[in-house]
Amino acid sequence: MTSWLSRLNLKKMKKYKTLYLMLIPGVIYLLINNYGPMFGVIIAFKDVNFAKGIMASDWVGLKNFEYLFKTTDAYIITRNTILYNLVFIVLNLVVALGLAILLNELKNKFLTRFYQSAILLPYLMSSVIIGYLVYSLLSMETGLINNTILPFLGREGVMWYNDPKYWPYILTLVKIWSTAGYLCIVYFAAVVGIDQEYYEAATLDGANKIQQIMKITIPLITPVIIIMTLLQIGRIFYSDFGLFYQVPLDSGVLMPTTNVIDTYVYRALLKNGDIGMSSAAGLYQSIVGFIIILISNYVVKKINPDNSLF
Amino acid sequence: MRNRVSVWFVIMALLSTLIAGCTGNSTPTVAVNEGEKGGTQTNDGKLPPYEVKLVFYGPAQKDLELVEQEMSKITLKKINATVKLERIEPAAWDQQTILMLTGNEQVDLIVTGNIEFSRQVAQGQLVPLDDLLQSHGQDILKAFQPEILDATKVDGKIYGIPSIRDFAANTNVMMRKDMLEKYGLDASSVKSLDDLDSILATIKKNEPNVTPLGKPSASAPIIDRVLETNWDVLGDYIGVLENLDSLKVVNMFETPEYEKLLKTVRRWYEAGYISKDAATSKDTAVDLIKANIGFGVIQKGKPGILAQTENRTNTKLEGVELGQQITSTTSITAIMLGIPTNSKDPTRAMMFLNLLNSDPDLINLIDWGVEGKNYVKVNDTQIDFPPGIDATNSGYNLRQGWMFGNQLLSHTWITDTPDLWTQMDKFNRESKKSAALGFFYNPAAVKTELAAITNVVRQYQSGLENGSLDPEINLPKFNAALRAAGIDKVIAEKQRQMNEWAAKK
Amino acid sequence: MKPNKVEQWIINSIFIVISLLCLIPFIILIASSMTSENSIIQNGYSLIPGEFSLESYKYLFQEPAMMIRAYGISIFVTLIGTLVSLIIMTMLAYPISRRDMPLRNGISFFIFFTMLFNGGLVPTYLMYTNIFGIKNSLFALLIPGLLVSAFFVILIRTFFTMNIPNEVIESAYMDGAGEFRIFARIVLPLSTPVLGAVGLFQLINYWNDWFNGLIYITDNKLYSIQVLLNTILLNAQYLLSNVNFVDDMGPAEEIPNNGLKMAIAVIGVIPILITYPFFQRYFAKGLTVGAVKG
Repeated sequence: MTSWLSRLNLKKMKKYKTLYLMLIPGVIYLLINNYGPMFGVIIAFKDVNFAKGIMASDWVGLKNFEYLFKTTDAYIITRNTILYNLVFIVLNLVVALGLAILLNELKNKFLTRFYQSAILLPYLMSSVIIGYLVYSLLSMETGLINNTILPFLGREGVMWYNDPKYWPYILTLVKIWSTAGYLCIVYFAAVVGIDQEYYEAATLDGANKIQQIMKITIPLITPVIIIMTLLQIGRIFYSDFGLFYQVPLDSGVLMPTTNVIDTYVYRALLKNGDIGMSSAAGLYQSIVGFIIILISNYVVKKINPDNSLF
Repeated sequence: MRNRVSVWFVIMALLSTLIAGCTGNSTPTVAVNEGEKGGTQTNDGKLPPYEVKLVFYGPAQKDLELVEQEMSKITLKKINATVKLERIEPAAWDQQTILMLTGNEQVDLIVTGNIEFSRQVAQGQLVPLDDLLQSHGQDILKAFQPEILDATKVDGKIYGIPSIRDFAANTNVMMRKDMLEKYGLDASSVKSLDDLDSILATIKKNEPNVTPLGKPSASAPIIDRVLETNWDVLGDYIGVLENLDSLKVVNMFETPEYEKLLKTVRRWYEAGYISKDAATSKDTAVDLIKANIGFGVIQKGKPGILAQTENRTNTKLEGVELGQQITSTTSITAIMLGIPTNSKDPTRAMMFLNLLNSDPDLINLIDWGVEGKNYVKVNDTQIDFPPGIDATNSGYNLRQGWMFGNQLLSHTWITDTPDLWTQMDKFNRESKKSAALGFFYNPAAVKTELAAITNVVRQYQSGLENGSLDPEINLPKFNAALRAAGIDKVIAEKQRQMNEWAAKK
Repeated sequence: MKPNKVEQWIINSIFIVISLLCLIPFIILIASSMTSENSIIQNGYSLIPGEFSLESYKYLFQEPAMMIRAYGISIFVTLIGTLVSLIIMTMLAYPISRRDMPLRNGISFFIFFTMLFNGGLVPTYLMYTNIFGIKNSLFALLIPGLLVSAFFVILIRTFFTMNIPNEVIESAYMDGAGEFRIFARIVLPLSTPVLGAVGLFQLINYWNDWFNGLIYITDNKLYSIQVLLNTILLNAQYLLSNVNFVDDMGPAEEIPNNGLKMAIAVIGVIPILITYPFFQRYFAKGLTVGAVKG
């Protein structure tokens, strides 16, 4: 304790006075918006009786968490959540980064901007709309695939909405399609910030494009890549609700491959609306994410402290 | 971003908590006696002036204030009170009502029903009406069959007065008249669902672009209405009455009748009478028929349903009623008017409610608007738009007569049969009443099991009841999953509550 | 570096295919919003309207005054919100981007923790309405949940650390510049790409937000465009799905349900597409450290 205090060199702090002052508005906001309301976490451990109010309601220990584990679906939803997220993180990174690098190579500025706008479009469409668009493709009676494309290839229509096995691929494609353009902006901003001098020197040394990308571009934007990945890993127990509920049009048959923790909780509480249970689910997801982040951050810190989250 | 509906649910539940917690309102005392507020007089002359506020939901109406004023003219004379009609957007209904009730806003009458009703009663937000009914609600008592009013009781007390509408329902198969005639098909030959096969087959063969059978609503499967008109579903379908005369609670999904239904709908699916996309599409039979690619639907039957559906589809239809209509608690308590404890003069509120159940002029105002401006009489009982006015420019086109008081007293629209209300009353009175009328189920003890059960139901129900899943394979899977989720425990709990309730009767 | 024509062609072709994949669904969206409801039910959604009809838009624009007002509110909130949030977030990110800053990791953790743990809706609502009383005010559209995002703060911090070497700061000190001056005159101009990116993201967040409006605003004069559109849609769906309504509609106006959803989506998306080019110029290979050094 005392050594910490002595490290608090007061003179040094004074030097950073302005910097600390700059922090204040943001910190105040976070205190109000996030830390203040955190007391609400206790709802997860109570059987909230509306007439008594939150504070006076009974404590019920872990009862509100039971429904998350006491079901045969627990394994399925957890597996689905984690696997999808892992695939999304990796694929989104590869595609978004690839697009950003390619965009950077384009000489025609007008075209660059045009493509950028185009690939952002899918992000701006809500999952409900995407669900309808996918339906217009995959509808078993009127969809484009069953009615036009497959017959053209001489094959039978597929019962897309009746068969769970296709949907990991469908949902992954949809996710990449809708998010890569958005993420690309971040990586593009990073790539654009790389000093041209590096490339000029490398060209003089005779390096070709691919080598330059591998040896200059990617290493120099590694901090961004790591941070983005870390941030997404922290959310590994959360899912994009719209993607898993709206896009499959809430089809029950597909649930073995489309039910994730968030959709399971939503369905479970549809008729019930029990806030203790929904709060418990949120807490469960937060804690798991937190532990995973602590571990990942620790690992990253060992490799390169500069790139860690904290 | 979280899905908005789930957020709604969470908001509404949470908001009530926080406000209850913060305004320091513990269980409010609910002892309301005539002696405390206003006067005990039943005579208007000595009553102090008052404004009765009625809170309801519905689309905006330009002439709402005008209607209010006309209504107030009547109520001023009779109970020395003016009327305020407070309209809330349907989308904001849940949240707003919670805020209104748990805050201290004055509300005298509020529309309520089923889920929100039980919540409001549990939180002590509604006034028990038994005494008030005796003193100022005689007309209400006269308008109801006693067992109907009793059905709303929670723990022996009445907290809400249902609007008088269709309490009973039976299964009604509606089909396009023109096609029936074109192919010489006789609708009256249909005495059961199986009899539909030959008709559907003919249509399918001769009209390739038509989907013979459509869904009754966007999210309800093809046979959904058959379920609720043949079983007393005791609120949530998980555990239903074996039959309307006994008090035995069984698992509907394991009954032979359910299996037979599934096999029927599967047969129809395989024959192509049902769209392959039925389980995922949001299109209803009405949508299909309007767009000229539909033929029939299995709906909930009540007097007037045929005319009303014809209106929506712009086609002539023919309906076949299957089975006797049944009345269960759920249908009665679906729409009621309650008096919140926030009301500063519950007696006056009851008087107004009494008028809504006895004064035709008042009812016609709130149901149809101002005579002459929003509607005109075309004969003794029927009304229509005034010349030059139609649905797009009418100042008052609320059409929610089923929400307020005694609908049977109101006029009938020109597109309905003139004796609609007589038929409706007869329909209700002659219905088969469930033995469990008045039983209110509280699922709190089994909420963990219900969470898992709901997911299982969502997984299988739509596919099975729309015919896209083969019941031979999937019904056993469904039931096994239900058992694994604990449905037996839930049913046992429901039965226990049922027995308790029956013993107290 | 001389552009290689073949290379350019390959890259362009890739992007043309990808752009088509992104544009075609959007065109379907627009086309469906201008198709009659019956045609949608008969034929589904398609690239070309089966039966051209503006009924969805007519239904939405029944009260133009409300629409225009809602647009005004959305534009105001979006612009102010984006600007203020960028200022606060960059001021939060810069100090912790400096390797020499004491307590840097602790503060980073403080910020990051808010990404994972959340007290929930009710306590937040409590905070804002009971303690701060912002219900039914424009603050409710600007502040809750949106003003500062830990994700963006950490992202900005990373860019600051990555792109601004200590030497630049040191030499600025030697020139006698104060911290804030360094921040405003050196750091920010060097960071236009990330500011452009986060600015765009915040713009999209503010513009698309209907959530705050839904729970904090009951006065319909303060509805933003998304809240208004969603209310119209939810009301329409309510009317169509409520069993009692459905049976009793009579000759009431019909609601173009499917087309309506599409029209709402189109109206929501177009303004963002129009503003995007404005942000794109920040993604230019602009100032870099090299330029500053020289």
